Amino acid sequence: MQDLLWLIPALPLLGFLVLFATEGRLPDKMVGVIGAGSVGLAALVALVVGLDFHQSGQPSYAQNLWTWMAVGGFAPAVTLYLDDLSLVMTGVITGVGFLIHVFATGYMWQDLDEPSSRDAAPKARKEGYSRFFAYMNLFVFAMLMLVLGDNLLTLFLGWEGVGLCSYLLIGFYHRDAANGYAARKAFVVTRVGDTLMALGLFLLFREIGTLEIQSALAKAGELDAGMATAIGLLLLGGAVGKSAQVPLQTWLPDAMAGPTPVSALIHAATMVTAGVYLIARMKGIYALSETAQLAVAVVGLATLFISSFTALAQTDIKRILAYSTMSQIGYMFMALGVGAWSAAIFHLMTHAFFKALLFLASGSVILALHHEQDIFKMGGLWRKLPVPFYSMLIGSGALVALPWVTSGFFSKDAILLTAYGHGEYGWLFWLGGVAAATMTALYTTRMMVVAFFGETKIEPHDRSRINMWGPLAVLSALSVFGGYLGIGILDDLLGAVDHIPHSHPAAIATMLLPLLGILVGVFVFSGRLDIRALVDSSLGDALRRFWHSGWAFDWVYDHAFVKPFVWAARVNKADAVDFVYRAVAAVTRGFYHIGALTQTGRLRWYAANMTIGLILMFLIVLEML
Amino acid sequence: MAIAVPIEYVLGVAMLLFLLGLLGVLVRRNVMFLLMSLEVMMNAAGLAFIAAGARWGVPDGQIMFMFILALAAAEVAVALGLVLQISRRFGTLDIDAANELSG
Repeated sequence: MQDLLWLIPALPLLGFLVLFATEGRLPDKMVGVIGAGSVGLAALVALVVGLDFHQSGQPSYAQNLWTWMAVGGFAPAVTLYLDDLSLVMTGVITGVGFLIHVFATGYMWQDLDEPSSRDAAPKARKEGYSRFFAYMNLFVFAMLMLVLGDNLLTLFLGWEGVGLCSYLLIGFYHRDAANGYAARKAFVVTRVGDTLMALGLFLLFREIGTLEIQSALAKAGELDAGMATAIGLLLLGGAVGKSAQVPLQTWLPDAMAGPTPVSALIHAATMVTAGVYLIARMKGIYALSETAQLAVAVVGLATLFISSFTALAQTDIKRILAYSTMSQIGYMFMALGVGAWSAAIFHLMTHAFFKALLFLASGSVILALHHEQDIFKMGGLWRKLPVPFYSMLIGSGALVALPWVTSGFFSKDAILLTAYGHGEYGWLFWLGGVAAATMTALYTTRMMVVAFFGETKIEPHDRSRINMWGPLAVLSALSVFGGYLGIGILDDLLGAVDHIPHSHPAAIATMLLPLLGILVGVFVFSGRLDIRALVDSSLGDALRRFWHSGWAFDWVYDHAFVKPFVWAARVNKADAVDFVYRAVAAVTRGFYHIGALTQTGRLRWYAANMTIGLILMFLIVLEML
Repeated sequence: MAIAVPIEYVLGVAMLLFLLGLLGVLVRRNVMFLLMSLEVMMNAAGLAFIAAGARWGVPDGQIMFMFILALAAAEVAVALGLVLQISRRFGTLDIDAANELSG
């Protein structure tokens, strides 16, 4: 059954091709069936293949499809490669992806049905529904190529493919120029990382002579330390861009301009974790260079620290979740950096469950409130929207890592406890991680308390059916019990995770500090504990604005890169490079004018010239000239 | 009895005829005179062929003259049609009036 592996990426591709070719002429119901069904079938095939693979007991299975190109000695093959790591990723992509697709059949239906929607015209609506699922299927295909590719070239193909789909879907509501701007920003910022990654691939190919991941890792021992560090850092650059880590994180909050299922699938569960997958996949390179691995950990720590503070100051529910995604991926990077490889992938999986749940539930809320995203305009929703509320509650519990009852606890705990025991400065990483976890508890409590309790400000209008609350229920179950899924299967995925015992004081602190955060959050944000004086002080206000802006990264980049570039473009309006080409054209035109002068249209003038020419030729032949 | 004319003399006359014809083409503006000048140039070429054929005692030169005669007849047939067109279109036989194909 393992030879069905090729079907997993082929099914979403087929779905995309059908939806793309019909250009929205299919009935909406059929679009939904094709869009979600292709991913569902892929998930089914992945389940069958995965079970068979597990039973066979082999460490890996490779399926060679065809040779991409053969140029001299360079002949990259398109090969699908299945091992524990890619199996987990495939399961997350197809499984969670299927649930999100099912949710989207209901969400997009209502969303495009809204009278306020910009795509309200019937034809545009129909076209939009089909276009959405076409892009989503293409994304799933590209993401599967990314994780299943045996060759770094195939991986890079998928890498760019998901970037393209991300761009297309962020700008899905293309009638609003701001969304197009957000899409371009995401594309350009991740391009910076992709360029670094491409350089890393070039360097790897020059040094080792192959881009096949397994043989490259086998030969990685030949690299000298400096080269391994350089390659590791360049690949990290790519991962940082794709996974929205500091300093290339600025695109993710703006990417929330896309429809909410897109935020759930691409900007929470799968694409943004591609960087984690890349580093986990290239483990052999990072094992050679302590510097590169330390850089991974530092990037993760910086991101989770910065973004969890930023999330505290946001008012848009989707932006809160976006910053929390950044910080959770920060945990994964930190885990990779401190050697908790399996824990990173474990957290990737549980995060996919609970963050997809949080985004989808927030999507239901946003839809029920007619696109109100400001949590301070919500309030009192917990009775009126029970399904989204309990989903959010469970998702938040997992995000905060409530001990023993949520999946997020197991994975985050494994990361933090490994960090504590890692080397001389491990406790620093632990401290940062726990501080951020406490902040996570605080901002999550704030989101829940402000949005769902207190007095009702907008009357919600819930029209969700089983295709919307069904996925929420399944994801809720996974967010609670997904942790037990990981114990045993994921423990030795990439080598055992070696962490301090749960009875250690640090472990108990790891468990209790988030609870303290929740407690403080409940008191502060329900108004029982008045801290208004503190917030309204000049320092508090400055801090709030600083955090609200995401630590002013956008401001700095705007002044450091965007404004100088725009200035240079304005100064160079005439384009110095074009001058060369214009000069060539001008010289050619000058010769043309000279040549045109001889063409007088007078017969006798031509005859005279011919005579003169003949005479000259004779003179030359007779060697008299 | 035939008096042998030295070939240099014949070629000299042919050259003279050719130059006269060429001069006519270059300086005359009337299309009719232009055509006549062309005839003169072709006959100069024919004369040179005859002289050369006589000099080496082969018939090739005379055959070439036959061809030139046929060519001249064909040329006149086409050229007179052109002359008619020019005179209709421009109301004159001045060749310089037909200069519309300038660059």
